[in-house]
Amino acid sequence: MTFDENSARPLSTAQIARHPIHPMLVPIPIVCFIGALVTDIVYAVTAEMMWADFSAWFLLVGFIFGVLAAIAGLVDFLSNRQIRAQAPAWPHLLGNLAVLILAFFNNLIHTRDAWTSVVPVGLILSIVTVLILPITGWLGWSMVYRHGVGVVR
Amino acid sequence: MRTSSRFLCATLLCGSALTLAGCNDGSGDPNAEIGPNPPLPALQQYLLPPMHIAKIVGWKHGETPKVPQGLKIEPLATGLQHPRSLYTLPNGDVLVVESKAPKAASIKRPKEIAMNYIESWATSGGKAGKSNRITLLHDSNGDGVPDKQSVFLDHLNSPFGVALVGNDLYVANTDAIVKYPYHDGDTKITAPGETLTPLPGGPIDHHWTKSLTASPDGKLLYVGVGSNSNITENGIEAEHNRADILEVDRATGRYRIFASGLRNPNGLTFEPQSHALWTVVNERDEIGPDLVPDYMTSVKDGAFYGWPYSYYGQNVDPRVRPQRPDLVAKAIPPDYALSSHVAPLGLAFYTGTNLPEQYRGGAFVGEHGSWNRQVLNGYKVIFVPFSNGKPNGKAQDVVTGFLDSNNQARGRPVGLAIGKAGGLLIADDVGNTVWRVTSSGTGPSPAARL
Repeated sequence: MTFDENSARPLSTAQIARHPIHPMLVPIPIVCFIGALVTDIVYAVTAEMMWADFSAWFLLVGFIFGVLAAIAGLVDFLSNRQIRAQAPAWPHLLGNLAVLILAFFNNLIHTRDAWTSVVPVGLILSIVTVLILPITGWLGWSMVYRHGVGVVR
Repeated sequence: MRTSSRFLCATLLCGSALTLAGCNDGSGDPNAEIGPNPPLPALQQYLLPPMHIAKIVGWKHGETPKVPQGLKIEPLATGLQHPRSLYTLPNGDVLVVESKAPKAASIKRPKEIAMNYIESWATSGGKAGKSNRITLLHDSNGDGVPDKQSVFLDHLNSPFGVALVGNDLYVANTDAIVKYPYHDGDTKITAPGETLTPLPGGPIDHHWTKSLTASPDGKLLYVGVGSNSNITENGIEAEHNRADILEVDRATGRYRIFASGLRNPNGLTFEPQSHALWTVVNERDEIGPDLVPDYMTSVKDGAFYGWPYSYYGQNVDPRVRPQRPDLVAKAIPPDYALSSHVAPLGLAFYTGTNLPEQYRGGAFVGEHGSWNRQVLNGYKVIFVPFSNGKPNGKAQDVVTGFLDSNNQARGRPVGLAIGKAGGLLIADDVGNTVWRVTSSGTGPSPAARL
């Protein structure tokens, strides 16, 4: 519906003044999940509870903004056949769905008290989450920089 | 039926389809873990621990808890503000310590927001009216009904324990033991208190009730200081002088750690026959519906009872880092398990003669009730028979009916005391009532019933 005939570029539906919302939100979960991995590692090394507390906040904020980013991305994905047709679109969606599912369970693990809120399961989930991020990020950047998704001109 | 249970289950457990904990938490018979050497199932860890708190509905007019045949129960005082502990003065007047939790510390992590919300369902918190005071119940005409219910001591800081030695009345606020002058017949204290010693208080103050008793010779005070966390999640530095029973020199206020590793010790009382110090202890949460059994135990000088490093002797808790195998090696098991998550907060040895013979010399325990298991546990007052100063036999339910048929809480028992004429007195903090249990037979005259 928002396919721009002149540019031949698939446009974003979830946008503010033609600025797509999805790419505005995705840095927040990316930074938070990387931050949680760092603070998980520091906690595993020091057993200082402050770092595990940081991880819990990172994971919660990352999950909330991850869900918001996913909603914006899904709106674009579902409302524009041109976007669904891009080769990276489905793997990008499924990869980031996996990130959110992992982060959901990682949030629950981090509600445990003290050591086992991080070691070993929480730390493993944080590592796997962060390993997926560059792959799904690469796919997302491909859609913008190579295929021009959401690019106005 | 069990609306609150289903609601909690649906929202907390089944809401996430992949959660490890189901609606059935797989708990066994809670009575199986009463007594010495309870069976301890394997430790479990959860994505969401089993949670079920009885919703507070309060007592309707005329409703009372239930007691077995041979006993009767009636309200001694109503309309109180979160009464948590009781103390009988030598002249028979009863002090009711009305107390609410100290101001919560700042939130450290998201879990605390959720836990504070869930816990708010389970307490009336004394929010409605004035609390943090001591009310005196005085029965001048001896009809068994206190005809004077007056404020004895006001503007306290989350008080819990009270002990009288001679003319010195000690009140254990959450942050200090304070001494007041008391003379027989006083119904109000106006003199300013004098701090005997500060105690570990805020800003975190997780387990805030400071139970207090005096040694039989009156020279020493013993105060229970609960841990500042479930299992060190607020950092080990927050646990300084906590999860301990402190022995305080009454003359100078200097204290030492009498016993340690007791996660949340309450009900400090000297057993009348052996003169040993006894306590009831709330053990750790979130490792299973049948772990760890709360317990009552005699307290040995210098002994270490495990918290946080191990439970029930030397069962290591993997949640604590760094671990301390040197301390675990010293940990001793307590005397008598009361079953998991029952939350014992009151302990009274029966020294009176009003109640039937079978109760004499044994211990009553007030169990505030569980939150960390699906099948509710506690929410009653039990009796543990003693002989030769030691538990001897299975615990019996004595005062029940705090839960209604829908598992909603009309009240929750906390502190206990024995009235001067031998009645068992029970503080009910969410029912805002003090209950009195007496013999239903041809007991003593009404004049001696309080």
